[in-house]
Amino acid sequence: MGKDGSTSIFTTKLDVLANWGRKNALWPLPFGTSCCGIEMMATLCSDYDMSRFGAEVVRFSPRQSDLLICAGIINSKMAPVLKTIYDQMTEPKWVMSFGACASSGGIFNVYSVAQGIDTIIPVDVYVPGCPPAPEGVIHALMSLQEAIMQGRTRAQIREKFNQDISPINFLKEKQ
Amino acid sequence: MNIKQQVVTNFGSELARFEADWRSQVERIKARFKEAVEGISFPGTDFTDVPIVRVKPTSLIELLSFMKIEAGFDYDFCADFTASDESPREPRFDIIYNLFSTTRHNRIRVKMGIAESEEAPSIRSLWAGADWSEREIWDMFGVRFEGRPNIRRILMDNRWKGHPLRKDYSIYSYQIFPNPEPPYPEYLEDE
Amino acid sequence: MDLRTINFKNKDVPVDVLTSAPASVFVKSQHDPDDLWDDSRLIVNIGPTHPAMHGTFRMVARLNGETIEKSYCEFGYTHRAKEKLAETKTYHQFVVYTDRLNYCSALHNNVTYAMAVERLMGIEVPERNIWIRMMCCEIARVIDHLICIGISAVDLGAFSFFLYGFHQREEAYTLIEKLCGARLTTSYTRIGGLMHDAPDGWEKEVKAWAKQTRETIDEMDRLLSGNKIWCKRTIGVGVFNREQCMEYSFTGPPARAAGLDIDLRRDTPYMYYSNMEFDVPTRSNGDCFDRYLVRLAEIRESLRILEQCADKIKKGPIWSEDKRTRIPEKEKVYNTMEGMIHHFKFFMNGFQVPEGEAYTAHEGANGEMGFYIISKGGSSAHRLKVRGPSFWHYQGLSPMTEGAFLGDVVANLGSLNVIAGELDR
Repeated sequence: MGKDGSTSIFTTKLDVLANWGRKNALWPLPFGTSCCGIEMMATLCSDYDMSRFGAEVVRFSPRQSDLLICAGIINSKMAPVLKTIYDQMTEPKWVMSFGACASSGGIFNVYSVAQGIDTIIPVDVYVPGCPPAPEGVIHALMSLQEAIMQGRTRAQIREKFNQDISPINFLKEKQ
Repeated sequence: MNIKQQVVTNFGSELARFEADWRSQVERIKARFKEAVEGISFPGTDFTDVPIVRVKPTSLIELLSFMKIEAGFDYDFCADFTASDESPREPRFDIIYNLFSTTRHNRIRVKMGIAESEEAPSIRSLWAGADWSEREIWDMFGVRFEGRPNIRRILMDNRWKGHPLRKDYSIYSYQIFPNPEPPYPEYLEDE
Repeated sequence: MDLRTINFKNKDVPVDVLTSAPASVFVKSQHDPDDLWDDSRLIVNIGPTHPAMHGTFRMVARLNGETIEKSYCEFGYTHRAKEKLAETKTYHQFVVYTDRLNYCSALHNNVTYAMAVERLMGIEVPERNIWIRMMCCEIARVIDHLICIGISAVDLGAFSFFLYGFHQREEAYTLIEKLCGARLTTSYTRIGGLMHDAPDGWEKEVKAWAKQTRETIDEMDRLLSGNKIWCKRTIGVGVFNREQCMEYSFTGPPARAAGLDIDLRRDTPYMYYSNMEFDVPTRSNGDCFDRYLVRLAEIRESLRILEQCADKIKKGPIWSEDKRTRIPEKEKVYNTMEGMIHHFKFFMNGFQVPEGEAYTAHEGANGEMGFYIISKGGSSAHRLKVRGPSFWHYQGLSPMTEGAFLGDVVANLGSLNVIAGELDR
C-alpha cells in the first residue's frame, strides 16, 4: 500500500474480468455478402474505425474469430454455408445481424431469400438500416459489449446453464 | 407519347443517325433469308427502339453469322442474350439476342420463338461467352439448348425445382436445403 | 457432407481433405515431366466465404503444384430475384432495387434505369436534371474505381490505397448525402425527374472534392505504378487479348485495357456527353496492370468531366412537363378531385407505361450496363433484364487463369471488379 492509501491491486470476480477481456477483444468474421459489405468495410476503415473498440483483428476463418458479422443477403444457396461457418466457430460466439436483409430479408420477399438469419442461427444484436450507417453499427457493437459485460448474451448463458435461451428472455435488460 | 416518339437526350437521335443503315440492312436480310425471317419490326412504325428480326430456329445460326461477318452489317458483339415468357402465346418462349456493332456503333435485335419442349440452337460457336447465358436461360425458363445434354443451373442451387422466371411460378415459393452445394470434381475432368 | 469433403470419382467413401494423410487424398496423375512430385494434382475449392472473393463467388480449381490446370466458377449466392420482382412491382417502386445492382456506384444504376423507362414513355427531362444526372454518374464512376483498385491492392498486400481511397469515398458520401440523404443506396432518380434538387453550392463542393481526389490519386499513382512488387504481381498476369474480349463480350476497363476501344459515352452519346471534352484511355496488353492503369486514367477523366459539368450547370426545373409520372402538388391533392384521384392512382396502381421494348445501355463503371425492358402496357414490366457487365467478366475468369498460378487468381479477380449485385441480380 502506498503512503496515501492507494494500492495497485483491485479485487473483482473472475467472471467480470473475463467478460471485460472478451468485450474488448471481439474478433469479427466479416461475412459480407452484398451492399452491407461495403458499409462494413467503411466502418472498419479509417473514418469510422471499429478497431477503436477492439474489433480490429478481422479474421476470415471461423476457427479464429468470435463475432460473426453477417452483412448482407442470405439466400437459399448461402444459408447452409452460413450454418456451416457458424457451427465451425468455437464458443463463446456472438452474431451480429448487419442490415435489413440479414435481419429480416429486407426489401426482398422472394423465393430465394431467407427472411432473416435468425431462421437459421441465433442472433445477438440486430442492426437496422439499408445499409446501416456506421454510427449505427458502432452503437450496436457497444450494446453488444455492454451485454457481454453484464453476462446476458446467449453465448454466456449457454456456458452457464448449458442450454440456449429464447429471445424473449434475452431482450429484458437487467434493472 | 411513347417509344415511337424518341427523345433526343435519351438515344432518340439513333433513328436519325442509323435509319439509312438499318433500312439497307433490313432489305438485304429480307432478300437473303426470305421465308426464314418471320417478320421485321422497325422503329418509328413499330413499338421498338431498334429493328427486330424475327427468325425461325432452324436458320438462327446462319443469320447471326451472316450478320457478324458480312460487310455492311458487322454485328460482331453480343451485348445481351436473354429470354422471355410470352405465355399463353405459342411458341411459349422468345429468345432475344441484342447485338452491337463495334465499328458502326449501332444495335439490332434478333428474336426467335421456342416452344416448351423444343431445343434451341446454341450460339456458342459464334461467341464463347454465350455459354453462361444459356445456362441462365435454362435455369430461369427451362429452355434447353442443342449440344448440352447435361446443362446445369447457374443462379439457383442445382437441387432447385422449378424455373423461377416463368409466369406461372410464384415469387414466394421458398425451398430450403440442409447442406451446402458440394463442388463437382467431374466438371474438371479433361474432355 | 460439408464444404471440406469432396466425393472423388471411383471412390466409395467421401474423403475429408483436412484430416486424411496427404498421399491418399491426391488424385492419381499421369506422369508430367514438370511435376516436382508424382501425384501432386489437387482439387481445391476457393469457396464462397473467402477473403479474396469480393462477395460470394466460388471457384473450384484443379491444381498441378501451384498451376491451375482447369477450373470452373460458380455464383448465385446473392441471387435476389430482381427480374422477377420487376414483374410484380411498379416501375416507380423498382428504383429502389436498382441501387442494389452495382452497389459501389448506386447512382449510376438509378440514372440508367430512369432513362430506360423514360425512353419507353417518350419523356423529355429538362436541362438541369441532365446535368445533375451526369455529375451523379461521374461521381459514381470515380468511387467505384477507387473501391476496385483499393480492394485489389489489399488482396495483393498494398493497404494504403484502400485507406486513402476510402477516405475520398467518405468525402464523396458526404456530397451524396447532401444530395439525397443516403450514403450508399441512394434511390435518387425518379422517372421524369429527381427526388430532390441539388442544394445551392453543391457544384462548388463537387469541384473541391474533385481537386482533392486528384491529389490523392497522384499520390497513390506514385505509390503503386512504379512499385516493383505491384508490377511483378500484375504485369503479364491474366492476359486477355482483344479477340478473347470480343468472344466473351467484355466491356469497360477490362476491354479497353486489351485494345477494344469502345466507350458508350463517346460512341453512342447520351445526355450531354457529346459536348464534353474527355479522352478514353486504352492500352494494348490486356493484363492486370493495364486494367489498373486504365481505371486510374479513367478516374482522372471523370474528374475532368465533373469539373466541366460543374461549370456549365444552371438553375432551372428538374421535373419534366409530362404529368404522368409525377404526383400533383399537395394543394391540388387536398383541394381538387382530379388531384386526389391522380395521387391515389399513382400510388395504388402505378403509372402505365405504353407498349414497347427498348434496350438502354450506359457506360457504367464496370462496362456496359444495360436494361432491356419489354412492356405490354401495364404498370409493371413484362420482362426486365439487367445486363450487368460483371456477368460476362466473371465468365472470362476460368479461361484467363488456365495455366496461371493460384496467386494470380486473386490478382485477376481484383482487376475484373466482379460485383455480386449485378452478377447475381
